[in-house]
Amino acid sequence: MTRFFYSKLAVENIRKNAQTYLPYMLTSAAAVTMYYIMHALSQNVGLGKMVGGTSIRMMLDFGTIIVGFFSVIFLLYTNSFLIKRRKKEFGLFNVLGLEKKHIARIMTYETMYIGVISIAVGLVGGVVLSKLMFLLLLRLLRFDVQMGFEISGSSMVMALTLFGGIFFLTLLGNLRQIHLAKPIELLKGGQVGEREPKTKWLMTLFGLVTLGSGYYLALTTESPIAALTMFFIAVMLVIVGTYLLFTSGSITLLKLMRKNKRYYYKANHFTTVSGLMYRMKRNAVGLANICILSSMVLVTLSTTVSLYVGVEDVLKTRYPKDITISSHRVTDEYIAQLRTHVSGVLEKHGLEQTNVMDCRMLAFVASQQGSDFITDRSVVNGLPGRLRTLLFIPGEDYSRITGKTLTLAENEVLIYSEGADFPSDTLTVLERTFTVKEKLSQFAGASNLAAITGNHYVIVKDMGVVEAIYEAQAEVYGEYGSQLAHYWGFDLPVSGDELVRVYRDLRANIPEGDASVVVETAETVREAFYSLYGGMFFLGLFLGALFIMGTVLIIYYKQITEGYEDKQRFEIMQKVGMSNEEVKKSIQTQVLTVFFLPMIASAVHIAVAFPFMTKLLGIFSLTNTALFAWCTVGTLLIFTLFYAVVYTITARMYYKIVRR
Amino acid sequence: MKMLDVKNVKKVYTTRFGGNHVQALSDVSFSVEKGEYVAIMGESGSGKTTLLNILAALDKPTSGEVLLSGRSIGSIPQKEIAAFRRDNLGFVFQDFNLLDTFSIQDNIFLPLVLARKSYEEMEIRIRPIARKLGIEPILAKYPYEVSGGEKQRTAIARALITEPQLILADEPTGALDSRSTDSLLRLFRDINEEGQTILMVTHSTKAASFAKRVLFIKDGEIFHQLYKGVSSEEEMYQKIADTLTMIATGGARRD
Repeated sequence: MTRFFYSKLAVENIRKNAQTYLPYMLTSAAAVTMYYIMHALSQNVGLGKMVGGTSIRMMLDFGTIIVGFFSVIFLLYTNSFLIKRRKKEFGLFNVLGLEKKHIARIMTYETMYIGVISIAVGLVGGVVLSKLMFLLLLRLLRFDVQMGFEISGSSMVMALTLFGGIFFLTLLGNLRQIHLAKPIELLKGGQVGEREPKTKWLMTLFGLVTLGSGYYLALTTESPIAALTMFFIAVMLVIVGTYLLFTSGSITLLKLMRKNKRYYYKANHFTTVSGLMYRMKRNAVGLANICILSSMVLVTLSTTVSLYVGVEDVLKTRYPKDITISSHRVTDEYIAQLRTHVSGVLEKHGLEQTNVMDCRMLAFVASQQGSDFITDRSVVNGLPGRLRTLLFIPGEDYSRITGKTLTLAENEVLIYSEGADFPSDTLTVLERTFTVKEKLSQFAGASNLAAITGNHYVIVKDMGVVEAIYEAQAEVYGEYGSQLAHYWGFDLPVSGDELVRVYRDLRANIPEGDASVVVETAETVREAFYSLYGGMFFLGLFLGALFIMGTVLIIYYKQITEGYEDKQRFEIMQKVGMSNEEVKKSIQTQVLTVFFLPMIASAVHIAVAFPFMTKLLGIFSLTNTALFAWCTVGTLLIFTLFYAVVYTITARMYYKIVRR
Repeated sequence: MKMLDVKNVKKVYTTRFGGNHVQALSDVSFSVEKGEYVAIMGESGSGKTTLLNILAALDKPTSGEVLLSGRSIGSIPQKEIAAFRRDNLGFVFQDFNLLDTFSIQDNIFLPLVLARKSYEEMEIRIRPIARKLGIEPILAKYPYEVSGGEKQRTAIARALITEPQLILADEPTGALDSRSTDSLLRLFRDINEEGQTILMVTHSTKAASFAKRVLFIKDGEIFHQLYKGVSSEEEMYQKIADTLTMIATGGARRD
């Protein structure tokens, strides 16, 4: 009988607080669903057997861990909101004669019901949706394998354990709060006279400096290699700056506004500025969290989308020719053997090569300082921003490719630069100085590989010069020295399976000797690319959805909590003579600011990070900036749309609370 | 000259589904002259608060009308009602209703800011009032830093600063200790002597004994009234106490 009473009371409590508990349960269920799907996908037997299955599985495993981790954080965070709101209720129970152990009992029932319902709904959702997600994943990966409907027992057990654990943790936390609190404190709940926030000039300045230097790094970093190393530093600086500016900067700004009496004592500024000040004091950290989180979502989504959509572009960049044969440690005899082999194969298939790029070259990295290229290893390792690849090509090969006759003296060169400037008329490297006879505006042999470092193609008199430079750099770089290479790329009038067959024949019986040779065609790597980038895209979508859910939830609860706190304030203002419209306007400004400040801040972050990200994507061979720009704008728009919808719903709830 | 004229005001509350009717005010008529200090007394549930809400234009009577300086409050369009309240009425509440997020000075400025007065004018207006109410030293403080009596004086300053025709006070001494109560009531009396019309709702005999006239309300009707005339506060206190006893024991109605 008594036990019945407690469980009934628990049900009644949940129903009474549906406004706050329903979103909590929905989120919990969604988190369970996501976790189950992720785990079930990573456990899928069929996936492991596919090409690239291992890398996909690794990504999904990683995804499972992230989903689990953020579920813990989101749910614990949300729970702290809920329990704060309900303290008064528990205080009342306490005063009415329920002992703490009885309250604990009610809470246990509540948590049990919420947990069981959320997990059950989540698992059902997971089972239903996992098939759909699996099909989506396969589609993204361009696998066309049909899979039966399956329920993963191990995933269920894992989800059950994890989320059961989370709910148990929230229960423990809540019980501890109730146990520690005195009834009078419970009754009073959160309403303690709040002090006005202090102006923190130093923190504001520091925030400006960190954010500024983070932005500066992002905007000024030139080379992708440098971007890679600077990325982490820039991100840290921006994160620190964001937190400081949200917490101290906002208060400082509002205080400045208040100091300007003519501005402050205006009907529409008066309540808004002072209201915002307290709102920012309470919410700054949460808003900064949201800002960082949404920036991450946006970056993840836009890059993974671009990479996936840009696979064909990437393939084009990486494999500009249908067939590429590159060999290292070559000798003239070896090249002759190679030629015989290739022409034999082509003859067999009755094909003729077109757009041929066939040249010997020596490529190595040096640090550019004006016209000097430093080959000291400590300098090269220390300054990633100035790294350039020098590609030396003998004059005779240049003539063959371009069909132009070339007369160069021993110390004369032609130069073609991509991704870097070459401002002077001389070039010094390895104690040799060359005169630049001509700067080429185009070069047929350029492979678009300029993304990582800048490239300088240096055409010298003949192979003799190249060999001399080879000796010199081998001496300086020792075991890190480069080898003489031969690069041979050409197009064929076939594609698809036919091309793959030619490719296979080329690979079979290819002469090796001392050289190392690699034959490549875009056809064979396409699958691997799709499985890699498709997997990343899928993960990006999934985590993006998770983060959006988290963001939305945090904002929703923030607004609801504030609504209850603001209710009284607006009542007073109305009594003193504020009209309904003025109340509405003041609320709107405040809620809008709180809502869209993080959104705008992260949009700015993204805009600044854009050139940076473009360079990083260059490392993945994605050089299509327009595509990346569209993907970024697209994700931003979709994200904003989501945000706006949640804002509308939340604002309506907020008015309802305040007006009641 | 009649400042406030309440004519046959009746208020019936209907529950949401129209099932039950609760009559809060059955038929209330009285008037307040300019410069008067009137207290309305009654027990909980007698209809005091309903009456005050109607006078404050926060609620509308079911029938009857309220005239302020000849203008019917009920005829004011919804859009202007906030401005009307701001310009003509000053409020003092039991729980002060100060905003925690504003300093004492900004709390007092609030109605002026809403009325779109210039900052210079606010500065000029606040000085004499703050001096009179003795809150000059705490103007820069915040409500949570000052005592209950100081809070209530702030609320009074906020009510006075718009130079309203009528001050409506709802249990202004309800949350104060006896010393603060005394000083507050003396303050009200002084303000009234300077010409400010005050209407106060209370169930404190002490508070009522400071008023020039006391109206007794019972079961939604004006039951009785007392004039202070030349009697002292102590004598008035005795009279009110007697009347209350009589009402409580169900004595016959007399005028």
